[in-house]
Amino acid sequence: MQTGGVSNMEKKTIILHVNGDQYEVTPSSTATLADVLRDELGLMGIRLMCNEGACGACTVLMDGEPTLSCMMPVMEAEGKEILTIEGLPDPVTGELHPIQQAFVDHNALQCGFCTPGMIMSAKALLDKNPDPTEKEIRKALSGNICRCGTYRKITEAVLDAAARLRNIKQQKNSTEKTNTEKSEEQESVWSIG
Amino acid sequence: MENTAELEYSVVGKRLPRKDAIEKVTGKFQCTADIQLPGMLYAKILHSPYSHARIVKIDTSKAEEVPGVKCVLTHLNTKKMHVNWHFGPPLDEVLHYQGEEAAVVAAITPKIAEEALKLIDIEYEVLPAVYDSEEALKPDAPLIHPDYRSDNTFRGYPWQPIGRMDEDGFLRLEYGDINKGLSEADIIVEGDNTNPMQFPISPAPRAVVADWQGDQLTAWIDSQTPNSQMPGIAGYLGIPQSKIRIISHCIGGYGNKQPVKCLYFAALIAKKTGRPVKMQYTREEDFIGTHRRVEFKVHNKVGVKKDGTITGMYSKCIANQGADTGFAFISMGTALVEPFTLLYDFKNSKAEIMGVTTNITSYGAVNGFGAPEGMYGVEKVMDKAAEAIDMDPIEFRLRNCIHYGSPAIEMQQAFNGPKDPVWGVLGPDLDAFRHLIEKCREDANWKEKWKGWHTPAAVNGAKRKGIGFAIGMHHAPYWASSSFVIMNPDGSATVMNNAVEIGQGFKTAVAQVVAESLGISYDKVTPVLSDSAVCGQAFGNVASQGTTSHVYSAKMAADNAREQMLAWAADKMGTTPDQLAAKNNFVYMKENPEKKMSIAEICGANYQIFGTFKNPPISALVDPKSGKIVSSYASTAAIVEVEVDTETGQVKVERMTGVNDVGVAINPDNCENQIDLGMIMAKGWVLNENPVIDRRTGAIMNPNLVDYKINTILDIPDRKDFVGEYVERPYPFGPYGAKGFSETACTAVAPAISNAVYNAIGVRVEDGFISPAAILRALEKKKQGR
Repeated sequence: MQTGGVSNMEKKTIILHVNGDQYEVTPSSTATLADVLRDELGLMGIRLMCNEGACGACTVLMDGEPTLSCMMPVMEAEGKEILTIEGLPDPVTGELHPIQQAFVDHNALQCGFCTPGMIMSAKALLDKNPDPTEKEIRKALSGNICRCGTYRKITEAVLDAAARLRNIKQQKNSTEKTNTEKSEEQESVWSIG
Repeated sequence: MENTAELEYSVVGKRLPRKDAIEKVTGKFQCTADIQLPGMLYAKILHSPYSHARIVKIDTSKAEEVPGVKCVLTHLNTKKMHVNWHFGPPLDEVLHYQGEEAAVVAAITPKIAEEALKLIDIEYEVLPAVYDSEEALKPDAPLIHPDYRSDNTFRGYPWQPIGRMDEDGFLRLEYGDINKGLSEADIIVEGDNTNPMQFPISPAPRAVVADWQGDQLTAWIDSQTPNSQMPGIAGYLGIPQSKIRIISHCIGGYGNKQPVKCLYFAALIAKKTGRPVKMQYTREEDFIGTHRRVEFKVHNKVGVKKDGTITGMYSKCIANQGADTGFAFISMGTALVEPFTLLYDFKNSKAEIMGVTTNITSYGAVNGFGAPEGMYGVEKVMDKAAEAIDMDPIEFRLRNCIHYGSPAIEMQQAFNGPKDPVWGVLGPDLDAFRHLIEKCREDANWKEKWKGWHTPAAVNGAKRKGIGFAIGMHHAPYWASSSFVIMNPDGSATVMNNAVEIGQGFKTAVAQVVAESLGISYDKVTPVLSDSAVCGQAFGNVASQGTTSHVYSAKMAADNAREQMLAWAADKMGTTPDQLAAKNNFVYMKENPEKKMSIAEICGANYQIFGTFKNPPISALVDPKSGKIVSSYASTAAIVEVEVDTETGQVKVERMTGVNDVGVAINPDNCENQIDLGMIMAKGWVLNENPVIDRRTGAIMNPNLVDYKINTILDIPDRKDFVGEYVERPYPFGPYGAKGFSETACTAVAPAISNAVYNAIGVRVEDGFISPAAILRALEKKKQGR
């Protein structure tokens, strides 16, 4: 790339693990994770509202922790598992993640700029606390500004998403249990045989 | 056509998912800043470091020599042409506020453009500046636009004359006899209020992309009113409007994303270089380089009788409009006809308002546009008036609030002219007002919580709780709008309108009314919005009129298509169109629903059906009872409960109840979201968002989201204590009874907070921005018995 009269930044090639894929990138040493995710990887769901860690719109998960990608030097993201809003839908079916679907069903968005960051913060919460109270939800989302003030419906959507995720887990558990029981039955049949 | 009011709606009134939901929850919604084109250049702005200065020398040669720099614009190589009523020449020799554009550099990377800006050799002659509206009116104040004004009062522009101002610069409205009215009063109550300015803070900083293909310009902009940018840019470039395609991807406007100055720079650079150009503001640029809420210094004087009758009100308002904007006139007009003369059933009223030019960032629309700023002062003084006669503040409002048939309506007509649908008179929908005040009182449990004047709701040591009430209103005019509805051969429909989805739910509302009118499923309707290449003219989504103008227009185009569809079907079915109805993707006989045809079959046989509509005819807007042209007005009432810490001055909003008139809710979820937006923005406006302007230099001291505090989820009450709701009184001239209401929700909350604080601490806070310092000052004053 032509850099003109601007001094050359130090560059280093690193591997980023994003949404289950690996990317080799060579950013300048001062680049943020948000810069690289948007400009190099084309992940435009990273929204830049303040670009100084005050609004939460650029939130991604790094090893499961909600992280402000505009404040994160990309070099520090090397080797970490990064999940962005683009990585949430089911990779095979394309089906929305239950949190995304709950935001759709509750119309928990208006201009939509804060929505990806809000959903990622909600995911970080629900991964750790599957049955949060309204107070816990408010605390977990307090770093994400919604200028449209859609907080009421966002809270409703997260409460509903938590219930949906618990249901899915329960169903999965009972299916697994049934499968285990079946295989145990089979085993006993075989042992008799 | 059948009377739709008698039918159960299939789509309208349902909580259907937004049409833009999927792209927004997946992060795929394309913002202007996300657009990348091959060979793109990036342009950056050199902002004036002074509030008032003349450029005496500008040498850009060193910047131009930087490898990668492709174009530099200054006032020397751009046309000095006043582009429209929003602002003067895009680049000017004299700069009127700190942050105004002095030069623009385009380069192959944003970084190179930024570095090259530093190499521009520029010398300024610093001119005397003035920031306060009253200072600017003094005879020795520096003159801000000496080329076309002899003082700093706003009187329109030579290139855009605006009439109606009196010789002294005031815009006036008077009816009845104010002197007689005030002399009939038992008590006269007065009050002053200066509101904080507030920045709109759209989440997406402004961005523009411009690209020329041959003689055709395509511009992607981030504006609520792309259509109204067309004449300005076409005029400036000297090309026909047909050569310009404007596409708007707008993220959260709050009234403010209208004029797009960087459109001019991007279009010029793209033309000169033959390459696509992107301009994107930083958050700080979006603060300093755009617009903010107007500051009104208001004085109100109201006369009341002991029985609660208002005998008259006089209002005087000085508006600090900042450096330059034609918006000032409209906001002054809004203030004049809403808070100062139309909130109450005045028999005698006089209001005068003056716009003053100063050297701070310009005024632009922000959620309410003159209404909340004016109502803030009016509703503080009305609280005082109720107190003066020892009447319950809600009873006082119920007794006096405007209603259908108020004489003010005649006055409105006289002021605005009989055939102006933009400023039409009040219609019968206004009778929702008393109903929603009562509902608000009930839902907030006012009768139990209000302990009477001079008695706080509760006292716990240094913490005191208070409850306050206020009302508000805002009008939604009819503005130009055309729509096309295409019924495709498979029975689906595409609807085209040039207004914009900015987050308010416009796209969804359009789809719901079109689906309802055509009798097809919601998921079969696709709106195509805000693209001038395929849509007709439509003013854009401002002034809460998206529903009354553009959703209405889409509905009328759909009705037009439906008539054609029914006419064809009637012929095939051997009946007349009036015997047919359309619902659930079928056209059927009303008397014999078993006899039906699928809409897909009808559309397929017709190849396509086109429905069109252009502007509501004036005759369609006449109220049959009064014979007058009407404009839709939405009313609101709010009760706020606060806790004030008298040791620290901290105010906590513990509960908010807001009830709004929406006509009919096309999508209840989206209506509730818009109400929440208005209430929360009003809360931030008076309690935590304060633009700090250095009154010695004009600099904005907190142009970032660390120092400028927007409400987070923890700054508003939780769900059980946040009641934002609506009442439905079908508006006869809106689509399925709906009307614009969004900004109304912002109007009553601010004064209700101030009134609640008074109830808590027993002393009125004079400051519009209710900071801890303002509370402590008021308490100190009370202590000293002043």
